[in-house]
Amino acid sequence: MSVQPHPSALSVTGLTKDYPGVRAVDDVSFAIAKGAVHCLMGENGAGKSTLVKMITGALQPTRGEMSVAGRSHCPKSTQEARDNGIATLFQELNVVDELTVLENLTLGMERSRFGILMNSEVEARAMQTLSVIEPAIDPAARVSSLSVAQKQIVEIARAASSGADVIIMDEPTAALSEREVERLFGVIRRLRDGGVTVIYISHKLEEIFALGDHVTVLRDGRHIRTCPLSEIDGRAHLIELMIGRSVLHDYHPRDTIGQETILVAEGLSNRLLKNVSFDVKKGEIVGFYGLVGAGKTEIARAIFGADKASGRVRFKGREIGGSPKEAIAAGIALVPEERRTQGLFTALTIRENVSVMNLGKLSKGGVFQPHVERAAAEDYVARLRIATHSIDKHVEKLSGGNQQKVVFAKCLFADAELLLLDEPTRGVDVGAKSEIYDIIRNLADAGNAVAVFSSELEEVLGICDRVFLLFDGAVQDEIVNGAEVDVAHILNVVTGGHEGAVQ
Amino acid sequence: MTMTKIATRADGQGQPRARRPLSDEALITSMVACAAVVLFVLAALLVPNFYQPLNVLNLVTNNWPVISLGIGVTFLLVSGNFDLSVGGIVALSGVLAVWFAQSAEGGNALSTGWGMPTWLAMGCALVGALAIGALNALFVVRLRIPSIIVTLGTMMLARGIAQVITQGSQRNTNLPADFGFLGNLSVIGNSVKFPVVVMAVLLLVAIFIERRTVFGRLTFWTGANPVAARLSGIDRARHVTLLYLLSAGVAGIVGILLASEFKSGFSNRGLLMEFDALVIALLGGVAIAGGFGSVIGMFFGAIILAIVTSAATGLVLSPDWQFILKALAVFLAIVAQSWALARRNK
Repeated sequence: MSVQPHPSALSVTGLTKDYPGVRAVDDVSFAIAKGAVHCLMGENGAGKSTLVKMITGALQPTRGEMSVAGRSHCPKSTQEARDNGIATLFQELNVVDELTVLENLTLGMERSRFGILMNSEVEARAMQTLSVIEPAIDPAARVSSLSVAQKQIVEIARAASSGADVIIMDEPTAALSEREVERLFGVIRRLRDGGVTVIYISHKLEEIFALGDHVTVLRDGRHIRTCPLSEIDGRAHLIELMIGRSVLHDYHPRDTIGQETILVAEGLSNRLLKNVSFDVKKGEIVGFYGLVGAGKTEIARAIFGADKASGRVRFKGREIGGSPKEAIAAGIALVPEERRTQGLFTALTIRENVSVMNLGKLSKGGVFQPHVERAAAEDYVARLRIATHSIDKHVEKLSGGNQQKVVFAKCLFADAELLLLDEPTRGVDVGAKSEIYDIIRNLADAGNAVAVFSSELEEVLGICDRVFLLFDGAVQDEIVNGAEVDVAHILNVVTGGHEGAVQ
Repeated sequence: MTMTKIATRADGQGQPRARRPLSDEALITSMVACAAVVLFVLAALLVPNFYQPLNVLNLVTNNWPVISLGIGVTFLLVSGNFDLSVGGIVALSGVLAVWFAQSAEGGNALSTGWGMPTWLAMGCALVGALAIGALNALFVVRLRIPSIIVTLGTMMLARGIAQVITQGSQRNTNLPADFGFLGNLSVIGNSVKFPVVVMAVLLLVAIFIERRTVFGRLTFWTGANPVAARLSGIDRARHVTLLYLLSAGVAGIVGILLASEFKSGFSNRGLLMEFDALVIALLGGVAIAGGFGSVIGMFFGAIILAIVTSAATGLVLSPDWQFILKALAVFLAIVAQSWALARRNK
């Protein structure tokens, strides 16, 4: 890797992105060498995706500069970034099944005269690129006949033949089998040897070590380190860089955990879940920790009846899981992952949002009782300290933290005995975060059961009594929280290290 | 029950409340009502005799079919769904009622029916209307096909069946003597037709349902965010099904009353009524994306449309200009609505 004399393929200087109340990327500067595989690492919320979005023109930075191969790069749109030679591969495939491989490769680059398609050198170049990086794919084959991995390679070939110098890959192996991963890696290495720079994002540490030349670690929006991977001393070192010493541990053992088991899940399986079994006791806060795609949301939705899953869920001895309506009636409430699209009626008022999950309380013989609704809304606004001057305020005008409190109010009004909280503090400012933790603890102290599904280790270790570690749709380990919790072990398990695996 | 002390409990109850601000719906409804009044005054100044009491009454009574249809259409729009089938259902239910009531031995095919007593014929016709509503619900809810396509299809299906039964024209012979009773009945000192009373009752019931019942609230929740509604335990499938049945039922009643009034079943009756019903709902401030709107607004929307079209015919413009005037009114209404809400919510 004699990369020093070349100008960097991409460099960022003082890059910053502010959102109201949150600084997602904070003064990040680093350079990416040409013709190398550069890995971008960090926990969820570290700022990776915001950074990538700025590079690809989907977001505009608040401050800072970028340059591509020495030229200034400030794309206003994704198209502009592509013109500057930056292509992105998303997790979702972007190929047209009905067309042939070759047609896909030249899609959007067709030469035409008076609207009539012309054969051109574009096709020849595409064929050549494909034959270099993966000769096994027949250019005349229909894309629908290819495997997922092959489709991905077609996408990569398209990016490469369109003249991209930098290709960003965001979790490209999420849907691939082990053998397909190997094949993809071969393609990526050949690309690199052809002078293309690959920015590789993945949570799977072994992939990073197998493939990467350089690594950049981000944490809490800040740049922590950029160096050749050879300078990194194994998984543990990388994990340490990613989480730092910041896993603050203010968990205090709680004495209100009951003996009575309130929820039992046995063998939950579906598209993503693999035989997930666990139990939750009354008064207990149980955590589910794993990275993106590990199956957290899927478990929450399966219990709530929002998604179909095989296996059994028994709540207070009765079998449930048919529909959200049934779950709510039984005494379960869900704070969903996406509060704006799944949790709230943003165009309606606080009052109208709080009341929705308990229609029985709100009506007498089908006739609405407005005073009950008003009283409930006033009550929860006060109890949860939702910052608003009126319960008739539209939810869309509240801050993220207050919106999340409205979702909590909804669930509390439903009189739930088990609360499923999917990423309960995502996009919430620090103040509201600790208030939400207080709410959760108080709920459990009052005898309710709480299940927290989170990709923030700090959150899980801060409030949960027991934690299930997830990887690849399965529960890999179960740990009891306490002062002597082994953070390195946890991170090892959730990134696919198998030392901690239990069956 | 178990969550009595979530956090410190601030005292939010006892203090006297400031006057509640107007809700968005109330704002838009009053805007629509004001527009109706302004237009009326303008028309009264420009058109001779426009302000006469009888004329004012006619603005409402002449439009009872469309206003009635607007009720179901409004509810469905608020829930995030279209219903374009109501005009077709008007034709179908009227034709069915006549066909069922015509005596079983007539001279030719068009004068031969099923010989049912009038009440039974009308009841069966209503069932026919509800069947179209059920079909709408089946496609929209179970098969998840966009409602605009589904109801465009059932609109043609309903009218198509009516056309086959009437062989493309109408059935108006061999009817029992009492068939025309309901449609021509006058109440309140012979001044108001029975169908207008039906419309008024339907309107009042609809406003009550919308404002004062859980059913009405479910409609708003479903339209405001279907995903959140499902995760909040709302059975959207059931609710939208009920709304389609309600809309089809109202359309069936309108069709039967019209058939009774004219003592005929006519396959072209109610042509374009589905669009008028949609137009008055939009004029009345109902959001095409769902989650917002009111029956009262729709009613004033109907008044605006009536004033615009009847004032125009009273002026120099020929009736040929009606569609252009409707178009103008709709564009203005939509622009005004989004402007008002954007200003308010900025």
